Amino acid sequence: MNPQLEELACLYVLDRLDARERASFEACLLHNPQLAALVGELESALALRIRALAQLEPPAGLLAQIEARIDRLPATSPPAPAGRVASLGPGIARWGIAALLAVVVGVMALQYLRRVPAVAEHPFVIIVGLDSHRSTLAELPMPRRSQDADACFIQLASLAERFWEKPEDLPVKLRSTGEGGRGYALFDPATNQGFIAIQQLPASEPGQRFHFWILDTASGQTREAGVLPLTDSNRGLYFFSVAPAGEARPGHLDFFVTAEDPTTSQTTRPRGKIVLGDNTIF
Amino acid sequence: MSPEPENAAAIEEVCLLAQTGVGDREAFRQLYDRYRVQLFSLAVRLVGNTGEAEELLQDAFVKIWRNAASYDSRKSRPFTWAVTILRRTCIDHLRKRRHRPGTTPLPANAEATPDYSTSEDGRHATETREDSARLLGALAKIPPNQRRALELALFSEFTHSEIARCLEQPVGTVKSWIRRGLLDLRTAITDSAR
Repeated sequence: MNPQLEELACLYVLDRLDARERASFEACLLHNPQLAALVGELESALALRIRALAQLEPPAGLLAQIEARIDRLPATSPPAPAGRVASLGPGIARWGIAALLAVVVGVMALQYLRRVPAVAEHPFVIIVGLDSHRSTLAELPMPRRSQDADACFIQLASLAERFWEKPEDLPVKLRSTGEGGRGYALFDPATNQGFIAIQQLPASEPGQRFHFWILDTASGQTREAGVLPLTDSNRGLYFFSVAPAGEARPGHLDFFVTAEDPTTSQTTRPRGKIVLGDNTIF
Repeated sequence: MSPEPENAAAIEEVCLLAQTGVGDREAFRQLYDRYRVQLFSLAVRLVGNTGEAEELLQDAFVKIWRNAASYDSRKSRPFTWAVTILRRTCIDHLRKRRHRPGTTPLPANAEATPDYSTSEDGRHATETREDSARLLGALAKIPPNQRRALELALFSEFTHSEIARCLEQPVGTVKSWIRRGLLDLRTAITDSAR
């Protein structure tokens, strides 16, 4: 494995990365089983080192003191609701902070090979510009694509990073001003991964959540790509992945964001108003 | 210890954390039972006395209770996650203590010494002795410089720059030693388990 990535793994396990490095490393960790295996082995070594310290028993009444402190915690600071732990399960989009991926991209260059056979069928990335009225799709040719899964991810992340820094390089034009939201997405049909960049979130009602969807216009099938995080800045670049679904050609795909009420947030199909993308598709 | 029981324990602990995350006090108590000795021992090692370690262990377990729902099993094992919470708690405390008047900012020679005490007080006798024996053998295979850097990285509040000063080496060299030390430890432990 790349020594730089090994060093990051060691520093990660020892909690010696700063917040940005840690976020970048974790984004990488989620997509790299070999790296995850290394981290697991390093964690075992670390645990063994700690277990080999002189083992000291804390005082018998300590748990009662801890529980008394927990009982005094304000009602608003209990453990978070149960759904959060399971919210990242298989088949559901996984969101992560993708900004600053360049660091990861640099150290992942020598990663192991995992083949992505579908790359040969999809030598392009789909780019879609989104505003409150329309979606504009373009196909960006990727003639020298690797069949290595990590290389594909790095290529996509690099592209997302580049467009985030220089949106003027996008092959689709975005509205520069005005009310409503705007953003764009990159989607790799070979790996079913992508990035969505929100430059401005639409206004929302209290409790509403923004769900991101991919529509196969030929079959009418929609795939949920995730729920957009709401941040103070109303902007951000996020990774997503969706379950594979048949052939994916630009002419047969569309992308949109809906505002869903909290009561329907568990929905597997869009019910709310389209706030980003072509609002006439349904 | 073979990897299988370790993984089984980790899976159980993931479940306990998930239950703790939804407010299950009994699951929290089980986690406390599993981790209390190791985390308390680590806290004593980090801060150097049992009184402060007790306070910090309390703080850490309250944080574990409050943050259990945000634990993500794809990013770390439960024990590593709990260790991270405790270490951060202790390191914050040590850095505040360091800035109090009359305290020494940085020991002139802060080399950490691996602790292989054989005190029987509160020891999880058999398993821990086996762990210690395995670790002693594994640590003996690691070059001294790497071992010192790794021990300082794990058992001190020092930044990389401070460790570099202690060891009179550039930061890059220290990071490299920490990396090699931990990787060598992993390899030696894996080899000794075969």
